[in-house]
Amino acid sequence: MVKNSLFNLKIEEELPVLDYRLNRSGKRSRLSGILNTMTGFRLRFLFAVCMQVAATLCKTSVYLLLAWFIDTWLVGGDHSVPLFLVGFAFIGLSLVEGFSSFQANHQANYTAERVALRLRNNLYDQIQRLSFSYHDKVDTGDLIQRVTSDVDAVRRFFSEQAIGIGRIFFLYIINWVAIARIDLQLALTTMVIVPLIFVMALFFFSKISKSYEAYQVQDAQLSSLLQENLTGVRVVKAFARQDYEIEKYRKENEKKYKLGSKLILIESLFWPSTDMLCGMQIVISFYLGASSAIAGRITLGEFIAFQALLNWVIWPIRNMGRLIVQMSRSLVSFERVNTVLAEQQEELRQGEKAPEPFLSKQITFDNVSFSYDGKNKVLDEVSFTAEAGHTIALLGSTGSGKSSLLALIPRFYEYQSGSIQLDGMELNQIRKEDLRRNIGIVEQEPFLFSCTIAENIAYGVERDVNREEIMQAAKDAAIHESIMAFEKGYDTLVGERGVTLSGGQKQRVALARALLKNPRVLILDDATSSVDTDTEVEIRTALSRLMKHCTTFIIAHRIQSIMHADLILVMDKGKVIQSGTHDTLIRETGMYQRIFDIQTRIEANLEKEISDAG
Amino acid sequence: MPVNSFEDEVFLTGIDSNVLKRIFSFARPHRKWIFFFLLIILVTTVTDAAMVYINKIMIDQAVIPGDLRKVIGFLELYGVMIVFQAFSVFGFIYLAGLISEKISFDLRQKMFDHLQTLSLSYYTVTPVGWIMSRVNSDSVRISDLISWGLIDSAFSTFNILIATVFMMIINWKLALVVVFFFPIMVYIGWQFRKRILKEYREVRRLNSKVTGAFIENISGVKVVKSFQREERNLKEFNQLSQPMFRSAYRAARWNALFLPSIQLISSIILAIIIWSSDWQVSGGLMTIGGIQAFVNYTLSMMWPVQDLARVYGELQQSIASGERIFSLLDTTPSIQDRDDAYEPEHFCGEIEFDHVNFFYDDGDRRNVLTDFSLKVNHGEMIALVGSTGGGKSTIVNLTARFYEPKSGEIRICGRDYREYTMESIQSRIGMVLQTPYLFSGTIRENLRYGRLDATNKEIEQAAVKVGADDFIRKFPNQYEEQVGEGGSLLSVGQKQLISLGRAVLADPEIFIMDEATSSVDTLTEHLIQVGMERMLEGRTSFVIAHRLSTIRRADRILLIEDGKIAEEGSHKELLRLRGKYYHLYTSQFREEKEQESSGTII
Repeated sequence: MVKNSLFNLKIEEELPVLDYRLNRSGKRSRLSGILNTMTGFRLRFLFAVCMQVAATLCKTSVYLLLAWFIDTWLVGGDHSVPLFLVGFAFIGLSLVEGFSSFQANHQANYTAERVALRLRNNLYDQIQRLSFSYHDKVDTGDLIQRVTSDVDAVRRFFSEQAIGIGRIFFLYIINWVAIARIDLQLALTTMVIVPLIFVMALFFFSKISKSYEAYQVQDAQLSSLLQENLTGVRVVKAFARQDYEIEKYRKENEKKYKLGSKLILIESLFWPSTDMLCGMQIVISFYLGASSAIAGRITLGEFIAFQALLNWVIWPIRNMGRLIVQMSRSLVSFERVNTVLAEQQEELRQGEKAPEPFLSKQITFDNVSFSYDGKNKVLDEVSFTAEAGHTIALLGSTGSGKSSLLALIPRFYEYQSGSIQLDGMELNQIRKEDLRRNIGIVEQEPFLFSCTIAENIAYGVERDVNREEIMQAAKDAAIHESIMAFEKGYDTLVGERGVTLSGGQKQRVALARALLKNPRVLILDDATSSVDTDTEVEIRTALSRLMKHCTTFIIAHRIQSIMHADLILVMDKGKVIQSGTHDTLIRETGMYQRIFDIQTRIEANLEKEISDAG
Repeated sequence: MPVNSFEDEVFLTGIDSNVLKRIFSFARPHRKWIFFFLLIILVTTVTDAAMVYINKIMIDQAVIPGDLRKVIGFLELYGVMIVFQAFSVFGFIYLAGLISEKISFDLRQKMFDHLQTLSLSYYTVTPVGWIMSRVNSDSVRISDLISWGLIDSAFSTFNILIATVFMMIINWKLALVVVFFFPIMVYIGWQFRKRILKEYREVRRLNSKVTGAFIENISGVKVVKSFQREERNLKEFNQLSQPMFRSAYRAARWNALFLPSIQLISSIILAIIIWSSDWQVSGGLMTIGGIQAFVNYTLSMMWPVQDLARVYGELQQSIASGERIFSLLDTTPSIQDRDDAYEPEHFCGEIEFDHVNFFYDDGDRRNVLTDFSLKVNHGEMIALVGSTGGGKSTIVNLTARFYEPKSGEIRICGRDYREYTMESIQSRIGMVLQTPYLFSGTIRENLRYGRLDATNKEIEQAAVKVGADDFIRKFPNQYEEQVGEGGSLLSVGQKQLISLGRAVLADPEIFIMDEATSSVDTLTEHLIQVGMERMLEGRTSFVIAHRLSTIRRADRILLIEDGKIAEEGSHKELLRLRGKYYHLYTSQFREEKEQESSGTII
């Protein structure tokens, strides 16, 4: 942890990526949660609060000094203290006040920003280390909101709300005490209306936040209406529905306008009505103060100071209401952030090192059963042996358990019964890190990042990769030509700001990405489904050359894609119902034979149709 | 670093008076009210300053002489002013708020209306996100500037001017001292604001990148895990989050330093008042109440300075917003009705492409169609086949007049279609696209989009015709089932059927189907084929399809390659040719049948 002294914040220095780990599971109270998040900054924040007190004391002292000056110097005519000293005292007080309030604000902000940085980095890391079962059930939009706007709310809690509430609190206490020192009765009179104003503000701000929410909801509604119109522009044009769309938008737009007007009405009623209350308090206090001054109970200077101090007791109270309402929302945000951090991370380094050399013999499934929810079995006592360097093909309908079976190999999920062994070692004893380093996966709908194609291909390789290697991988995946056809070639950006790749192109880039990693196990989950037949053959030839020492698992629907496999597993409802090579399976009565027969029939049909045409 | 964001914020440092003028032209319709609230503000600031002045007189003439009855008199006046003040505050907040809402309402509507007229070519080059922020955020910035920005700057300026006047009345020499310091305050204020703004911009820029990084990390989590990128990703993320921390903190530090600096200057003024009070008071030039008033005026001058600096910063941003809004509003649609365009009474499905050349403006401007000629007779069904990028969709886009030929002519019913209004063409063409788009709402509402005055019965008949009725009836709310944003609650196949139903309901003369049933299962396709065939009878139709059953049905098949017709003829004729179509057909045949069989057997 970088220790910054209170006054020498070396902010230009590189900070550690994770200066404090927040992902401790277990329930804790909200206060201890906040304190834990602030680890390393607690004293600093306390210091900020103390400086706030100091600043307030200075501010109050300015008015007390003014009172003294009027009474002693102007009215009393006692000129024993030189005038220039009085002047410098004012400047001095303002310097101290300025310094204190600067310290209070920037230390609080430093804390807030460091906490936000800590939360962001911890959350980012947490997200990529949570298990698949977590990501399966989480709502992406909600998660994004937690890591962005909720973190920002927590930041504002430290930088604005906590320090702001402290400021108003001390302003009230210190100035009230100062007034009480002048005259207790005067001080007590301020206690009549001020709490009323406070309660009103609290009520108002919690009330207006509801109207504000309604306004926000309408805003979102209007915004998605616009988005739909823009995204569906072809439909709008195809049906020439421009007028209809304009009318639809106008309706919602008007709704927003009405809600906004209502909101502004509430707001414009609140401020003047509390203005009046505050004004009443001031008039009453002025009267009492003036009569005390006339009766000689307080001096003229004290009366003038009282008038000024009174302002600092009354006006800020309204903001207290706002800050408290905001704070209660920030605390909800804090909870939302914390539940993400409290989730159990996936342990990547737990277990034994993988056997070296990796996968030199076989992977064995022995009566493996698996279920996502603990109830419905997705895999039911699956057994087979994959020899090192072999190609294993899986065939079956959607939901037959093919993808689930392959997801067990990199330990994305844990099997519940039976045993999977890799070179004789139980799979769930092997470190996930070791496993995943040696496994390459290509999915049917692969995810590419919005960076260049070259960066996407090199994504999985830790060392620096030169352009030739990337190109070679791309050539093996039969995508090199398509990449070169882009204006910027390998430096073409992918995604929203760049080109949109077709499904087949994406699949091939993902394949290149997996090949460059040089894995010992390659999993192709329907990975060439969008690639045309000719290109697929090309890829298959390249793969059979490259993957001699690599065990390959393939999920595919076309017989041609899998007929060369060393082992074909036909799956149905979580079970392996047939297994063998293409040659043995076509002789067995069963599903594989039926599929094959149909394909032969197709060829015959085609021949017939062509000859019919002449 | 995997980041996706569309950085569209361009920051200006100067102020363009032309844009400013145009921005304020939006205020013109409200100028009476704006004038009114400015007047209220003026009155308010005068009352504000007067209240301090009354206090001065009260101290000098009532408190010091000890006249409690006079005190009451002054306080009564004070009370009246407070009530008056409250009404004024209500007045200008409410007025400004209303004007702000109204202007942003108008701006949004104006942009939306204009967007409807823009051509498809605009939408292909402009990201949706960019347009959205123009309509959603820039409009608010402008309306805020005209209302709140105007209030703040008027309030601050009036405040300073009127306080100066009152100080002049009390003691003009001391007032001059204050006036002397004033520009210094403004200068310092502006210097601070400039630095704070610069850091804030950096924070905003990085923030959108941080959000992008989060989104990718969540959606790409499987890849991250299987490629073990955790540590590198975190390090890269830290390269965004740490600079963001630094900028945010720097902005906060400037902010924390800002007020104390201004405060220091006012305390120097205060000291000068104190220093001068010796000869001022004893010389009878200044009363104790006067000193108190001066102190109050000076101390309350900090806030206007702060506000002015802030508004100036916002003004710059609003001008940038204004420029972006105007760039949107100034875009002219590339396809417009001619002045003498008319709606033909009689319309037929005879379409002729006559030596058409076409290219898209945003690409490399290579011809997509070159010297393309084609005559389609009324009632003919044309199938367009060929590889992606060959020009099939372009033919369809030109027919629907989403684009117009760069040279050559397209004639409908024997006349150049630019002589007709766009609406008359597009309302007679029914289009069904491969990626069907539904609007959020119910299924019924989506079907009705085809013909707004259709009865419920007609809607359901259309659904039956396209084979959508069955699955619709299975929903708990049937036709009132919500389809979700963009139709996300339905499968692609279901969306295709509904969009087909929508087109059928429109009852167009010309049908265009671009892979319209590619995701519909084979069984359903067979079911609707008969109905569709009856539908298409007597209507001209263009069909882009992969499914052989659809292609075979066409009267004429065009194999489009590199913007030209490579082969043309009926299915049998083309097979006999043993050319490209033959090749395409055989490989497609195998693929399709295999998929069909794996669908039924497995």
